[in-house]
Amino acid sequence: MNRLNKLFASKNNNLLSIYFTAGYPALNTTVDIAEALEKAGADFLEIGFPYSDPVADGPTIQHSSEVALENGMSLKVLFEELAELRSRVSIPILLMGYFNPIAQYGIERFCKKAAEVGVDGIIVPDLPIYEYENMYSSYFIDNGLSNIFLVTPQTSEERIRKIDDLSSSFIYLLSSSTITGYNLKLSDSVEDYYKRITAMKLNNPTVIGFGITDSSSFAKACNYANGAIIGSRFVKLLGEDGYIDKIDGFVKGIRP
Amino acid sequence: MKIKVCGLKHPENIEAVTALQPDYVGFIFYGKSPRYMAGLPVGALKTIPASIRKTGVFVNESAENIEKLIAEYGFDAIQLHGDESPEFCAKFKGKVTVIKAFGLNENFDFEQLKDYANNIDLFLFDTKTKEYGGSGKTFDWAILDQYKLDIPFFLSGGIGPENIAEVKNITHPQFYGVDLNSRFEIEPGLKNIEKLKDAFNIVKNKTQMKYGVNEQGYYGDFGGAYIPEMLYPNVEELRQQYLNIINDEGFKAEFDDLLKNYVGRPSPLYHAKRYSEKYGANIFFKREDLNHTGSHKINNAIGQILLAKRLGKKRIIAETGAGQHGVATATVCALMGIECVVYMGEIDMARQAPNVSRMKMLGAKVIPATSGSKTLKDATNEALRDWIGNPVDTHYIIGSVVGPYPYPDMVARFQSIISAETKKQLVEHTGSELPQYVLACVGGGSNAMGMFYHFLDDESVKLVAVEAAGKGVNSGESAATTALGNEGVLHGSRTILMQTEDGQVVEPYSISAGLDYPGIGPQHAHLFKSHRGEYVSITDDEALQAGLLCCQLEGIIPAIETAHALAQLEKMKFEANDNVVICISGRGDKDLDTYIKYFNY
Repeated sequence: MNRLNKLFASKNNNLLSIYFTAGYPALNTTVDIAEALEKAGADFLEIGFPYSDPVADGPTIQHSSEVALENGMSLKVLFEELAELRSRVSIPILLMGYFNPIAQYGIERFCKKAAEVGVDGIIVPDLPIYEYENMYSSYFIDNGLSNIFLVTPQTSEERIRKIDDLSSSFIYLLSSSTITGYNLKLSDSVEDYYKRITAMKLNNPTVIGFGITDSSSFAKACNYANGAIIGSRFVKLLGEDGYIDKIDGFVKGIRP
Repeated sequence: MKIKVCGLKHPENIEAVTALQPDYVGFIFYGKSPRYMAGLPVGALKTIPASIRKTGVFVNESAENIEKLIAEYGFDAIQLHGDESPEFCAKFKGKVTVIKAFGLNENFDFEQLKDYANNIDLFLFDTKTKEYGGSGKTFDWAILDQYKLDIPFFLSGGIGPENIAEVKNITHPQFYGVDLNSRFEIEPGLKNIEKLKDAFNIVKNKTQMKYGVNEQGYYGDFGGAYIPEMLYPNVEELRQQYLNIINDEGFKAEFDDLLKNYVGRPSPLYHAKRYSEKYGANIFFKREDLNHTGSHKINNAIGQILLAKRLGKKRIIAETGAGQHGVATATVCALMGIECVVYMGEIDMARQAPNVSRMKMLGAKVIPATSGSKTLKDATNEALRDWIGNPVDTHYIIGSVVGPYPYPDMVARFQSIISAETKKQLVEHTGSELPQYVLACVGGGSNAMGMFYHFLDDESVKLVAVEAAGKGVNSGESAATTALGNEGVLHGSRTILMQTEDGQVVEPYSISAGLDYPGIGPQHAHLFKSHRGEYVSITDDEALQAGLLCCQLEGIIPAIETAHALAQLEKMKFEANDNVVICISGRGDKDLDTYIKYFNY
């Protein structure tokens, strides 16, 4: 049982997760930011590693990825920064990024290294179910890493069941079919979709992401899932001067 | 080769058989047959897709009854298995496809078939038996050589899992397809789907087994669909539908009509005499530059717009580099009256301003891609982001054999018209459909894949793909993907791409915007890795010189993309009798500025 499973076993509502891009706004900030987020009360974190062609991301996270790459961020550099992660941060940590940098690093090597520095789970939006199941799942399982799958309002029930079977910590529900960084509009159809998921009584907990920007959208999302994830809005904060001191206020502003 | 599955009578089994997409399915109306379909409800045939011809099989039935059953069950074809006369057959000719069956043995008199020639559409040759109908036994196929009429025929009688592969050796020019029945059954009238599936794979994949795509969308190690979940429903809808749609007779007819009357196909295969003299071989130009809109891109755009219409899409998006694919897409959207949005890198928009205006005149909205390097790969990213946000009503017309499966296969099929025509035209020019060499330029690789497609399994034909070396392969400014890249994932498929050690995509360079792409299609990656194709590269300077040479020797101004393929001729050694085909993928009007500046005209 990794830290993620323990977290969901002990707390099953209002979980707050924060995403940020490693290497943004500067190198050697990853663990500082993670530590500040833990102190402010975040329940778990997603650390993004940058890619040149982030198809699922909107302008904010695209920009943070570009800056991070210019700063020299890479998986090699990230794992060096994360070497001191577990001496300073104890909440669950996920790495999130696109498949090609992982493929170049070596998938088996990536999983081993992630486990070694104390990472608990991986989110790779463009790694499909078929390839995960048939080619790579053993590397994740052998290293005690949870692979997190995304579900959208268009995902069929049959496919959600399959994802539930393959998941071992939580399922990432997208608020709508969109790239990152857009505001959540809680229309009737979105509500129907959340209700449909709830009615399926899945084995895994669910967390809602994409379009969560403030305390009100966070609270709404938590009506239908075990927690919610904030990404672009936090990445914007990291672009401001003195961001490290603003982290506490930001987190408390989301979940008073 | 067509496939007919005959003797169906159980509704669920019919559904499973039609899912395999045979060309014909047959229902037997003969009381003495164990496959007699008496009692099968009319509705059981209603769900059969229009692309599959429903065939009623009769033995000495009255014309009135046949007519009644055609109306009731909606048969597209009838198969007459008794002693029906030519006059009897003539009553149905033109209303439905008429198939007349004959039992053959070594004493069969082929003369008797002559009287039927004008009154039927197809023959079906079975093994001669005392009873009417099939025997489940084969006859000596060698006697088919005695059949000289020009009516195509189905082969029937005893074709089973163990001899289906031998059928592929039959070279008779009128051999139309196989009729599968009793040797693929669990019991009479109940077909064994697994056995049929294997047989279909053997027959249908005849030309595509080795280098074609498998069910998961892979060509060897390459391909697949590496896409975020947000794109899954869009891509999955296409995957499930594309083969059904493009194999549908109505689709094919509309596609062929537009290619002929709108695009101006077939494009000529021109014997370039002065080139032939210069290079000491028979050089042929496949003139895709003469297509409407000036390049091969229109073939794919027409195919995909017809597909989008059948999927009920209301809005089209596309990416473009030089603007050729954007213009082709804007053109077909104007033709069909569908909204069109084209993403183009901000830098490319400045470099290719005339094409931006063209697209706007055609009614398209051109949106600059301002992310990343602001060129083709970023335009592709922006188009994918648009598609994520518009999952229901929008179709994305990808312009090359790249992207997640099924795009590489779908685009290759639409472009394969290039090699299909070339084979026929070569027979007229040279007496053989096979040349010694086929050359084409490769960016993503759609003209090359269209040019190679029908030659893939003819291993004697050498396939030469020419990439853009830019200012030199090792200059740091190049787009020679196979020379500089390695395996990874780009735009949804596993392929070969130019990237850093850390897996970041490298921005390529070529003077030709159409070749300025950091990857190649997954099927090209497979042809490269398996050594089926030879992948070479040509610099900017070499290409421009070759482009000018083509103007001056043949009076043809080629696109700079195409000029890369022409330049490769300088580096090859030919035998005097070699036949060489080069795909002239596009015309050079769009490149006049570049040519003029380079040569100071």
